[in-house]
Amino acid sequence: MGALSDLKVVEWGEFISGPYCAKLLADLGAEVIKVEKPGCGDRSRSYGPFPKDLPHTEKSGLFLYLNTNKLGVTLDWASVTGAEILRELITQADILIENHSPREVEELGFHYDTLSKANPGLVMTSITPFGQSGPYRDYRACDLVSFHISGLAHMNPSGGVDDIEEEPPLRGKSLQADFLAGLSGGIATMSAVFARRATGQGRHVDLSQHEALASVIRRDLGAATYEGLERIRVKGAQPSTETLLGQCKDGQFFVVCNTDRFWANWVEVMGNPEWADTELFQNRAARRENWDAAKIMIEEWAKDQSLDELVRAAQARRVPCMPVNTVRESANSEQLAARDYFAEVDREQMGRVRFPGAPYKLSQTPWQVARPAPLLGEHNEEVLCGRLGYTEQDLAIMRVEGVI
Amino acid sequence: MHELPLEGIRVADFCHVWAGPHVTQWLAVMGAEVIKIESHLRPDLTRSFFAGGKTLMPGLNQSVDFAVLNYSKKGCTINMTLPRGIELAKEIISLSDVVTENFGGPVMDRWGLGYPDLKKLRGDIILYSGSGFGRTGPYKESPAYAPIIDAFAGLTSLNGYSGGEPCPFGVGGWTDLTAAQHGAFAILAALHHRYRTGEGQHIDLSMSEVDCAFLPDAVMDYTMNDRVQRPQGNRDIAMAPHGCYRCQGEDNWVTIAVSTDEEWKAFCNAVGNPEWANDERFRDGPSRWRNQDELDQLIQGWTRNHTDWQAAGLLQEAGVMAGPSLSPQAVVQDRHLAEREFFFDMEHPEMGTVRLPRLPLNMNHSPFGKYEHAPSIGEHNDYVFRELLKMAEEEIAQLQEEQVIF
Repeated sequence: MGALSDLKVVEWGEFISGPYCAKLLADLGAEVIKVEKPGCGDRSRSYGPFPKDLPHTEKSGLFLYLNTNKLGVTLDWASVTGAEILRELITQADILIENHSPREVEELGFHYDTLSKANPGLVMTSITPFGQSGPYRDYRACDLVSFHISGLAHMNPSGGVDDIEEEPPLRGKSLQADFLAGLSGGIATMSAVFARRATGQGRHVDLSQHEALASVIRRDLGAATYEGLERIRVKGAQPSTETLLGQCKDGQFFVVCNTDRFWANWVEVMGNPEWADTELFQNRAARRENWDAAKIMIEEWAKDQSLDELVRAAQARRVPCMPVNTVRESANSEQLAARDYFAEVDREQMGRVRFPGAPYKLSQTPWQVARPAPLLGEHNEEVLCGRLGYTEQDLAIMRVEGVI
Repeated sequence: MHELPLEGIRVADFCHVWAGPHVTQWLAVMGAEVIKIESHLRPDLTRSFFAGGKTLMPGLNQSVDFAVLNYSKKGCTINMTLPRGIELAKEIISLSDVVTENFGGPVMDRWGLGYPDLKKLRGDIILYSGSGFGRTGPYKESPAYAPIIDAFAGLTSLNGYSGGEPCPFGVGGWTDLTAAQHGAFAILAALHHRYRTGEGQHIDLSMSEVDCAFLPDAVMDYTMNDRVQRPQGNRDIAMAPHGCYRCQGEDNWVTIAVSTDEEWKAFCNAVGNPEWANDERFRDGPSRWRNQDELDQLIQGWTRNHTDWQAAGLLQEAGVMAGPSLSPQAVVQDRHLAEREFFFDMEHPEMGTVRLPRLPLNMNHSPFGKYEHAPSIGEHNDYVFRELLKMAEEEIAQLQEEQVIF
């Protein structure tokens, strides 16, 4: 039994932020009906990656991952019948998760005020780049735009750049901002489910991706308001982190030396070289001052070392140190295997597929994949006939008219 | 709207530094009574952290790094090196619904406060354990810092300029706070389950597993195609133009992304170069992507004559996705966040009035939640020991003298 198996969710969204929010609920047992446009469906179906790079609506890795455990129906919600069916589904649900623009939602007649009249207990979570109000409400955005406007790119890469004229602020790995919006939306949704307990009254949850991202750099925002700190991208403008991404002969490592104990133990790992035993590196203040010099010396030593031996030696002395793994190494890592982390699913038309699994382990109600992501419209009959009372003939007509 | 979602829920909180406290920050803002258990022997490290904008402040109660992650919580002090201290902690736990911790090793077990022990105190207890690599496996006690975790999980290998080398992810707190948010979600799910069944449980969260949860495209390109992806930077796998362009002014940049041919035409018109839409090199998505080096040069020729907001404003009016690339200090001045009331004034007895970001909780048109000042160390000892545990004044005084309440 899943922790959330009593919850009925309609997901009316696409790509990442809406679907990840709904996935959090689905993977812990909530029933999620995912509503997609007929024909092409959710646009993550065309994102990939695809086996052998051959695009196929039912074989996109991103879609498969984001939509595990969901039922899938198709609806043209711009048509009269389609909108009616969507409204019926929402009326029967505890939760609606959507990530359309506020304008589109209003134009289609799906505003919370309307929906909650038919379903006063409805929790409606709207995930948008800038929220339902404010001067940027109708601005269009994607992962890149959101990541940069919320202040995150300014501090990437760590330590700054050589030439702020030529090297722009840097987005991290793609899609992170969209995932984060879905994640914050999940917590906000559950918060509304709890708030509903006392009175049975639902809520409109307004999740602004802009605010979710700014919240993540709260320490930098606090430093700006309280300490008057201004982050500058020029290399050397920030105090040294006393860390190093270094090169071995067969790979890269990352090491943290920001305490006396870590530094002393790291010096042992390097075989107690003479250069480390000078005033330049004798305490933290000195090491912060001279870290560039330390890095040069460490890199000179590391380039002849075996990555595996270096990391083992560091870890044996409890110095924070790991290899800079690619996904190949992390996918094959002993630790993640011991944790049974990766999930596998047999998926029609794809065979066996392996992807990231549970982001948390719950002892009594574990995360699980009960069913793979739905084929496009896979559950049209089960949902439209089984729950809403339409007949096979109704569905045949809807198909012809492009409603489903 | 006055009812808070977690009113009536109590949390015995052993979390420290960043990842742990952000979990209980969500719970506190949602209305739970979060009792943060520290000690003068071991105050939360962040009480001594300063970003460097001010010189080191005296005492343990003036760090904004601490305040921005610990507001709305109560604070008490217990010396957990003494058996009597552990007894006090157990008494608090007996009155709590949730226990939270993010120690680097089996500290709770050593204290006799592991999950089986906690269940004896309270059968339906929910224990949250956060760590870098999880409570099981060969790395379960490996020293865990965000950049170490990022390196292990593969995130560092995917961070860098397009076609460039991996570099450490510079968004301070990203890995800690995304892990924490998964933790908060898991706790809410566990509480929901408990409401339905009366059953508690143990939550074991690994920050490195959370990192991987946000990389499914890279992971699956490997598991399906044996391909190892490299950093994309500000570029995209399919969209072009898609990048960050130099604007007028010091360190002034705008991001622009075009996803369809319609948007491309609108873009060309907006920047006064409609002929680009007919240029063979840029006629469709794949062509624009192939020729994006040239395209980016042309675009930067235009953006250089505008500030970030001028460029973004013009493009947004034309329906093109664009926005300035801002620093944290610019974000605190942002007019949209101001109108949304994303910042609040924390009134703190020692720090004074401090403008801090809320959590992104907004319901029925307004920010939502309990926003109170961050606790000074031991600030709520009187409440916890006298009111909650109903101890006599003399006993409390005695325990303070013996440095149990310390």
